Formats: sequence, C-alpha cells, structure tokens
Amino acid sequence: MDVFIQLVVSGIALGMIYALIAFGYQLTFATSGTLNFGQGEALMLGALVGLTLVGHMSYWLMLPLVLAFGALQGVVVERVGVRPAIKTKSEFGWIMTTISLAIIFKNVAENIWGHDDIPFPSPLPTEPLQFFGIHILPMEIMVVVGALALMLAVEIFNRKSIYGKAVVATSNDRDAAGLMGINTSMVITFSYALSSMTAAFAGVLVAPLTLTGATMGVSLGLKAFAVAIIGGLNSGLGVIVGGLILGIAETTTGYYVSTGYKDVPGLVLLLLVLSIKPAGIFGKSVIKKV
Amino acid sequence: MSLSKKIAAVLAIAVAAMLPSFWSNPYYIHLMVVIGIYAILLLGLDIVVGYVGEVSLGHAALFGVGSYAAGVLHAKLAMPFLLAVPGSIVITGLFGALLALPALRVSGPYLAMVTLAFGTIIQILINEMDFLTNGPLGLSVRKPVWFGHHISGTEYYYVVLVALIATLFVIQRILKSHLGRAFEALHDSPIASDCMGVSVYGYKVYAFVLSAAFAGLAGSLFTYSEEYISPNTYNFELTILFLLAVIMGGRKTRTGPILGAIIVVMLPNVLSDIDLFREISIGIAVLTAVYAVYAFVTRQRTAKQLALPLAATIALAVSGFMMDNITDHRLTIFGAMILFVVYYLPNGIMGFLRGIILKFRPQWIHRHTLIGEHGDTQHVWAVPDHAVTANGFLLEARNIVMQFGGLKALSEVNLQISKGTVHGLIGPNGSGKSTTMNVLTGIYKPTSGEIEFNGKLITGATPSSIAGEGIARTFQNVQLFGEMTAIENVLVGLHHTYRHSIIDVVFNTPRCKREKHAAEVRAASLLRFVGLEDLANEEARNLPYGKQRLLEIARALALNPSLLLLDEPAAGLTAPDIKELIAMIDKIRSHGITVILIEHHMDVVMSICDKVTVLDFGQKIAEGTPAEIQSNEKVIGAYLGGA
Repeated sequence: MDVFIQLVVSGIALGMIYALIAFGYQLTFATSGTLNFGQGEALMLGALVGLTLVGHMSYWLMLPLVLAFGALQGVVVERVGVRPAIKTKSEFGWIMTTISLAIIFKNVAENIWGHDDIPFPSPLPTEPLQFFGIHILPMEIMVVVGALALMLAVEIFNRKSIYGKAVVATSNDRDAAGLMGINTSMVITFSYALSSMTAAFAGVLVAPLTLTGATMGVSLGLKAFAVAIIGGLNSGLGVIVGGLILGIAETTTGYYVSTGYKDVPGLVLLLLVLSIKPAGIFGKSVIKKV
Repeated sequence: MSLSKKIAAVLAIAVAAMLPSFWSNPYYIHLMVVIGIYAILLLGLDIVVGYVGEVSLGHAALFGVGSYAAGVLHAKLAMPFLLAVPGSIVITGLFGALLALPALRVSGPYLAMVTLAFGTIIQILINEMDFLTNGPLGLSVRKPVWFGHHISGTEYYYVVLVALIATLFVIQRILKSHLGRAFEALHDSPIASDCMGVSVYGYKVYAFVLSAAFAGLAGSLFTYSEEYISPNTYNFELTILFLLAVIMGGRKTRTGPILGAIIVVMLPNVLSDIDLFREISIGIAVLTAVYAVYAFVTRQRTAKQLALPLAATIALAVSGFMMDNITDHRLTIFGAMILFVVYYLPNGIMGFLRGIILKFRPQWIHRHTLIGEHGDTQHVWAVPDHAVTANGFLLEARNIVMQFGGLKALSEVNLQISKGTVHGLIGPNGSGKSTTMNVLTGIYKPTSGEIEFNGKLITGATPSSIAGEGIARTFQNVQLFGEMTAIENVLVGLHHTYRHSIIDVVFNTPRCKREKHAAEVRAASLLRFVGLEDLANEEARNLPYGKQRLLEIARALALNPSLLLLDEPAAGLTAPDIKELIAMIDKIRSHGITVILIEHHMDVVMSICDKVTVLDFGQKIAEGTPAEIQSNEKVIGAYLGGA
C-alpha cells in the first residue's frame, strides 16, 4: 500500500507538468483553433536557456528571464509558422510549420548544448521530506504549487482584465471579436507568447527533477497532447484531472508492469477517451452552426 | 485516360524496366528499390493528406507495422513471401482502423495528435515485445526463394516495380471511382457530403485504412529488400520525410509521390556531401533569383513578397559555405524545406509545373473527366430506396426543443407532414425555420423531443443515415462541392446507387460499368430537369447563384428521397425563374415526393403549399391552409409587428 501511495504522489508531480504543458495547448487552441506541435521544444528551450542562466545567477532571478524568453519564442512560432497558415485556413499548413519549427529548434539546441543530457542544479534541498513514510521531494511540491499558480494567474487575467476579455472574446468568436475592434491577430500572437511561456516555465520546473537535453521535450509534449484530449481541449479543470490521471497511470504502470511500457497508457487512454467521449472527460462538445 | 497519357505511362514503365541495365551497381539498384517502396507508401499517404485533407504523423509507424508483420510472419511462422505480404497488408490495415476509428470521430487536429502518439508507442512496443520482434536486436529475413531460385537484388527490383505499377493502377482506379469522388466531396463540403448520405466519418476512416494498407505493402516489401529490420528505422524523422515528400512532389497527383520518393531517398545522400549541397543550394538560389526577377518584371508579385524567399535561399547558399559539417544541421535543413514548400510551393513541384502548363497550354490539362451523357425525361425519377410505409403522416416531430446555451431556438415544436404534400414553413428571420431543418436532418441533435419518419424514430441519428432513410435537403447558404463539376455534384447525390465493392472498382467489372453508366444517365437527366443540361461539365463554384440553388435541388433529388427539404430555393432567382421553380416543385410533388418548403417569397408559398406552418421565436404560432394563414391575426402580427 505504501508503495502505491508513493507512486501516486510521484505521479501527481509528473501529472502537473503534463497539465501545465496541456494548458499551453489550450491557450492557443481557444483563440485560433491551432496548437503548437513544438510545445515540447518550447519547454526544452526554456529548460536549456534556464540552465545556461543559472550558471550566472540564482534560480529565482533566472525565472523571469526564462519566462520572457519563452514568450518571445512563442511570438516567433506564431509569426513564422501559424499566422500565414491561419490566413490560408490550412490545417495542414500550421501542423506542418509548427512541426518543422520544432525540429529546427531541436536541431539548433543539439548544436548549441550538445547531445548529452545535463543535470540541472536544484534550487531546493534534494533531501526528500518524510510524511507517514512517504517520500516527497521539495521540488515536487514546487512543481505542483508553481503549475497551479501559473494556471490560476492566467485564469484571473482572462476573467478580470480588459485584455483578458479580449482573449475570451476572440476564443468565443474570432470574426465577431474582430468586428468589435479587437485586434484578433494580436490576441493570437499573445496567446502563443503565453503558451510558450507556460511551456518554458514547465521546463525549468521539471528540469531539476529530470535531466535537461535537446530531446527532453519530445515525449513531454506528446504526453501533454494525450492529457489535453483526455481532459478536453476546452476545459481548464480537464487538463489538471487528465494530467493527474496520466501521471499516476504512468508511475504505476512503470512499477507494476515494466518501465519499458510506462509510455503506453497514454495512447491507450487517448484512444479510449476518443472512442467514448471525443470531446474529453470535461470538454463540452461544440455544436457547429450551419 | 487519354491516348497520350497511356503512351507516356507505357514509356515510363519501359524506362523503369531498363534502368537496372544502365545502373547495375547494387548500391544504385538498392536506392531504386527503396524509391519504389517509398513511392507505394506515398501514393497511399496522398489519399489521406491530399484527398481527404487529414494529417497523418503515423505513417512511418504504419510502415514499421507492415515491416514487422512481414518479418514476424516470415521468421516466426515461416510464411512464404506471397502469404506474408498480403498478411502484413491486412494487419497494417487493422492498425489503421484502430487509430482512425476513434481519432476521426471529431474534426480538428486529433488524427495528427493520435498518430503522432502512435508513432512513439509503436517504437516502444517493437523494442519491448522481444518475444515477437527480437527487440532492439532486430529481425533477419531472407529474400524469397521462387522455384528453387533465390531472388537477387536486381530481380527484387522487378518485384517492387510490379508492386508499384499495381499500386498506381489500383489507386488511380479507386480515386477515379465513386469512392474517390466521396473523398473529394467530404473534403470540399463535409456538411453537404453527410446530407447526401456520404458519411464523412465513414469515408475518412475508409481512406485512412486504405492508406494504412498501402503502408503495409510498402513495409513488407522493405523487410525483404533490407533483409534486416530494427526498431529505430521507423522514427519520427521518417514520418517527416514522408510528409515532405508528399507535399513537395505534389498532392492529388500520381506523379507527385513518385517524384517525392526520389527526392527524399536522394536527400540524405545530398546532405552527407557538403560540396554537392553547396552546388545545389547555389543552383536553387540562382533559380529563385531568376524567377523573382521574372515575377517582378511581369508584376505578378511585389518586391515585398519576393524578398523573403530570395533572402532565405541566398542564406541557404551562404550557410552551405559557413558550415564544415552538414550532418549536424540535417534536421534544420529538413525543417526549412518544409517551411519553404508549405509557403511557396503549396501544390508541390507537380502542381507548380501544372500551373505553368495551364498558363501556356490550357488545353493540355483536363481538370475533370468530361461526362458526355445526355439526359432524358424518363430517367429523372426513381423509386425511393425505402418505400413509404407510414400510415398517415410521413414525418412527425413531437415536442422538439433545441437549446443553444441559454437560448431556446425551438421550444416544444410539433410538426406533422402529410404524405404527398408541399408543406410550407414560414416565419420572420430568426424564428427557427433553418434550425428545424437542421434538427430534422440530424445536423443538430434536439435537446428533447422525438422525430418519427416513415414509421421509424430518427432522433439522434447521424445526418448520413437520415439521408439514407430518404430525407434530402438543400441549404440556405449554398453548400455545393465547389471544385467539382455540376454533374459530379449530382453523382455524389447518386452515391447510394453504387452498390459495387472496391474489388469491382479495381477490376472495372461489368457491374461497375453498368452502375456507373446508369448513374451518369440519371445525373444528366436530373440536370436536364432543373435546366442545367448545358452546364453539366462546368465547375459548380463558377455557376451563378440562382443556378447553384437549382443544382442543389438536382443533387437532392438524386438521393431518391421520399421527403425533400427546400431551404429558400427562390432566393437569387429572377421572376421567370421563380415561375419555373414553382412548376418544378409541382412536378416533384406529383411524383410522390413530399416537400417541406422554407421560403420568404410569399407568392411561392401561397401558390403551391398545401399546408403552411408559421414559426415565431421558436414557437409554432399558426398552421393551416395558405388562405387561413393569410388571414391569421397572429401571423400578421408576427410579420408586421403590433398586437
């Protein structure tokens, strides 16, 4: 039983990272109906830039710089990859361009930081805390708190500020928002900046727990896809629950079945959810007006 | 196929057959084999990417499934080549169905996401299931032995060539048949396609499974070509290469995938030789510069539009001289190529060439097969697929509520449509007429209430199955398949009359020919009925608005409906046209088809309807004969305001 609880606790930390990346998918999907297939690479770049910065300053000082870098990277992706494809209304277009930007980022990262994984110095003590025989790393607690805090901050921004209202309006109906004088392409750029910023933040949160390297983002980005679909591409609560489900499913599969199979539940859950409730567990199915 | 195309095809096959005698080096032969194998996969991938318009990021994995299926069947079950290949086609097709059935239920980027995940999982599974696959060690397979003779590399080239020709032939037949037309229709207008009984979901899955089957064929041929397979071959990079090949060669062509295969097989060789890369990148920069000057001088493009691609290609050429090792930058170059193709060569190389030919020799290019059938008056009408068995009312909607969030678009609407009548549905704008249409045809699922049609409950059924039951419709905002000709639009409506299978299509059996001919005669007759016989081979999007509405009526009649819903058919028609429309509706009724008519032209409604229902704010406010409605105070109030 103790082992199981331990697995659940580790799964929660992992799941919150997935949730945070999936949240980034939702941000851009809401405003533009597109998402960044290079979200994992945005995370990886955030972590590697953070790693370089952390050599010169403290972890806490590095955070805002990484966030700014993430936002900038998001703007680049949107301008180069997404905007022209939105103009031509080509789904194929944005999928292909975000993928090709992703492989370019990965390749560039490999050429700058090398092919090997590098440990990331932890800002918090690495001694696990003990609660009733369960080990928890302080960094794991920070992952959960940090992820929730960022999602909460974005939600509050969307609900309370006038700029947030512009984002929500664009999400509801891009054409109508445009006619009401909202610069919707600016809103979309902004959502990409926010989305990549979230991913970069997830990168520096997860890096001390794992290793940093050019390939670290690939599987994280992919798992977050599964989470976004399981939870629902338009539900904030959904990604958190979806993230937790997947995180726990993976740690338990890794322990009880085999570590080799720990990536499999993601796809199985994904296919199951799509077969039973395609809009996701918490997603609302959208009625297309004719 | 025209004669010149046939000659070109025969010549191309002859050249391909003679190639090994020019390039007898085993290395070249092997490259050509791989090109052939990739071409088979890409031709299949083009069905999904080009025709259906979905993105698959899992074709490398499906290729891997095909390879391993053949490898395992050969190594573990000792199956001969001629059994292992079909076996792996079937297995890969099943994997395709496993992915497509859930992923295509919703529109959006889901297929891309699911197939991407599948790609990773397949690699893990191949690595982990070592009792079948030998895990990371890989599987060894020998080329087949036929008649005691071990097939050599060159002989295997001919095996692949035969497979490629067969693939080309089969795919060409499928895409030119009613199946290919269904793929194009669902891409063009999904809603219209569903309402014509061509299930968007069903045919997308069909296309994906077909495409997976060809990936399986390619994969199994690859196993025997390499004689050794290991999990790492089927990675994400290969998927990207496949997609690059399809879009760079040119979507929706047969030559494009072959050209694409040549490019992506040669690409790694180019990218391993820095000198060759430098020469090619200079060549591309020069070509782009020439084109830029030409386009600028002829004023096709502005300097601003040309600056970016020109700068990019020059940067590529310069970067070639700045790096000393190109393999490290390989993926960046792939990525840049994809960006370039997506933005500047969206129709691929073949599409680009086609565009040039179209400009100078438009008569060389036939975008559509011309259908020369002449319709007559006998072939307009047919018996509905489902005979009308209902007693009393053909359609009965009971207590229909349709709620969008807080808005009740329809509240407790009851509708009874008697057999053989024209039933008018009128009301001010926003009163719920079109919503009623959409609920009846299954596009919206009503929040509550039930619909009985022809003695059968159809509430909650999909639009395509409701169309199959015999309800056809036209749309208020025209939903034609714009890139198809008028007669092809009607043929989509006649899709249900094609009862023959894909096997008949491939072998062009007498049954296939017979049904095709019957459908074409019928389509021409329907066009004649609505007065469009002279415009049969004109693209639908080029027709004037009024004619587009008439074409929608012809297409809807093709479904052999027992109930026809017309949504504002008179909009955009001139006064004499409206007279003809009234006569047309009258004829439709006299042939036993019940009609529900939404119309704002009151003269049309009053002159032809047997009964009229009036909606206002989602509620039924009156029902009766035209005369009764005209004097109904509530109706007058609704239209003119006041009490």
